[in-house]
Amino acid sequence: MHNVWLIARREYLERVRTRGFLIATILIPLLMTGGIIGSVLLAKHAKSSSHIAVVSTDTKLATDLQNELEHGSESEMTIDVISPPSAATRARLEKAVHDKDLDGYLWISPPRTPGTRPVLQYKQGSSADLATRTTVRQALDKVLTRARLVQQGLNTAQVQEMMRPVDMEATETGQQDNTAASFAAAYVTFFLMYMVIMLYGMNVARSIIEEKTSRVFEVMLATVKPLEMMAGKVVGVGSVGLTQVGIWMAAALLLTHSSYVTHSVGSNTGAQISFSALQVFYFVIYFLLGYLLYSSMAAALGAMTNSEQELQQLNMFLVLPLAGCMVALPLILNAPQSFAARVLSLVPFCTPLLMYMRLSVSTVPVGEIVASIVIMIVSIYAVLWITSRIYRVGILMYGKKPNLPEIIRWVKYS
Amino acid sequence: MPTVQLENVRKVYDQKVAVESLNLKIEPGTMFGLLGPNGSGKTSSIRMMIGITVPDAGEVRLFDQPFSRDALKRVGYLPEERGLYKKMNVLEQLSFMGQLHALTATEAKRRARTWAERLQITEALPKKTEELSKGMQQKIQFIAALLHDPDLIILDEPFSGLDPVNASLLQDTMVELRNSGKAILFSTHRMDQVERMCDAITLIHRGRVVLEGSMREVKSRYPRNRVEVVYSGDNSFTRNAEVLEVRDYAGRAEIILRGENPNAQPLLADAVAHGTRIDRFEVKAPTLEEIFISSVGGRVDA
Repeated sequence: MHNVWLIARREYLERVRTRGFLIATILIPLLMTGGIIGSVLLAKHAKSSSHIAVVSTDTKLATDLQNELEHGSESEMTIDVISPPSAATRARLEKAVHDKDLDGYLWISPPRTPGTRPVLQYKQGSSADLATRTTVRQALDKVLTRARLVQQGLNTAQVQEMMRPVDMEATETGQQDNTAASFAAAYVTFFLMYMVIMLYGMNVARSIIEEKTSRVFEVMLATVKPLEMMAGKVVGVGSVGLTQVGIWMAAALLLTHSSYVTHSVGSNTGAQISFSALQVFYFVIYFLLGYLLYSSMAAALGAMTNSEQELQQLNMFLVLPLAGCMVALPLILNAPQSFAARVLSLVPFCTPLLMYMRLSVSTVPVGEIVASIVIMIVSIYAVLWITSRIYRVGILMYGKKPNLPEIIRWVKYS
Repeated sequence: MPTVQLENVRKVYDQKVAVESLNLKIEPGTMFGLLGPNGSGKTSSIRMMIGITVPDAGEVRLFDQPFSRDALKRVGYLPEERGLYKKMNVLEQLSFMGQLHALTATEAKRRARTWAERLQITEALPKKTEELSKGMQQKIQFIAALLHDPDLIILDEPFSGLDPVNASLLQDTMVELRNSGKAILFSTHRMDQVERMCDAITLIHRGRVVLEGSMREVKSRYPRNRVEVVYSGDNSFTRNAEVLEVRDYAGRAEIILRGENPNAQPLLADAVAHGTRIDRFEVKAPTLEEIFISSVGGRVDA
């Protein structure tokens, strides 16, 4: 155990002290900040801010529309109301659009038969501005519906009440939860796992290859067991990844809670993801176990190969099981207590994702939680054990690429 | 009590037999030379002594006990292909190696400094390994093998890449260690070094022992059949009936004599009779290098 600790500490310190680590650790949060500020600015711009003219003989309708477009939830347009139009209006507007003084105009003619909808004509400078066109159409829809409802004899308050958007709450008995958040959590977990495994799991493999090419292993193996060496590498290189991701997550949390962001996006994003303390606890447990398992598998790949190129060809073996679990995700969400869901969530490669999902959408018996954790720990040990076998024999025959029967023989070999 | 003992050890890789019925024994306070051509099974034998591989048959005993990993704390190993962490600070690296051998960090650093001073390489301690020359890395690796004061020191090709000054520094250090009672096993292709330093040798070829024993024993097994003559004038003495083989380098002849009990006298008489002027006439035993070549090369002319 002492040797594992020494090896892990060496790997950790060596990596954390490099300039590359420092740069990546600082640069990524900076990029995140930039990205968030950028998206906030973009979100502001996404509201249509075009300048258009509304021409109508019906002054009330025109001002209603102006109101909706200037102060509505989805637009901040500038509207000129021309009511009623004169003979020269159309020519003047055409010219304004042509000279780009105006982004477009909407011509509302009275209905040909009373009681039906008015005739609408929309002219736009750049026909590609789909956002403005859509906004105008939606605003018109709203205004016309409102006008028709008033015509039918409802008062303004009743109309307001009817037009209010619905709120829907998905609440389960005894559990404060909502499906959108669960889904979001699953995807966040998946992408976090995926990213960390691809970035750092492969680092474990790389560090093993590096050790093979620098031939340090001969001195090391004269003192420590291959299993200790593998475990030390997985823990050491792994902790580097966790440190970095930890710093990034902290930065992200800080960012999303900083006053600027909450002011500009926080209030109207609508999709707030909230985790309970227990969820966070399970997340940490399953994430760590999953990370260790996949890193151990990466270590096995490293033990089998002699160069980065060979490693690249094999890295799909890390991604495939993870992607497979993603496919099973809807099954878990639809029927978290079904037999298939229970079995799948105990398969070690899937446990970190699927068991975590089950835990967040339903109540899982304590026995199954304990079983999943035990199975994962046993699997990690087993993978490391096999890896150390492959490693020990593999290094002594380095140079030629092993085939499957050979690898099986290596595992049996001492 | 032998420090290392291999009994009937056999190791097979896939189809290739690396080592076959190998016996060897190293006593404390001896300098032991493990010799053999490339690919003869030297490194395989060494790897079995330090538990990197396990023999298929036979027994490895360290310090008179069956092999156990605990015993490795008393073994220092310098592998043939040097391996140090390239990006790591030298002192840190030595401290790390020492700690793996159950030293405390402070003690490991203290010893590293003492050794660096002794091998005149103190200036390398604060550097990174990759900044060092090959010879310096070699010395650092040597220190790494000795830091935990091992009772058995295994050195695979310790002199490769060292200049004569550093080689003799290393050589002196090895002799000092031997004199202080450590068992040293080293493998090399440099027969002159073996001849000068080793108390006992084992020569393996194709995984089998072809020659073994103390240095004196081995040499006494070979007749004194080498003659070196520095001369001027007539060289007809080189065609004497006693001569088996001759290499004549214009004024210096290296002669191998015939038979189990070679006699150089007729040669000298022959030369004197022909009026050849002799500056030097020396009868010698074959060098270890010649013994090596004859044992391995299949020539039975010794």
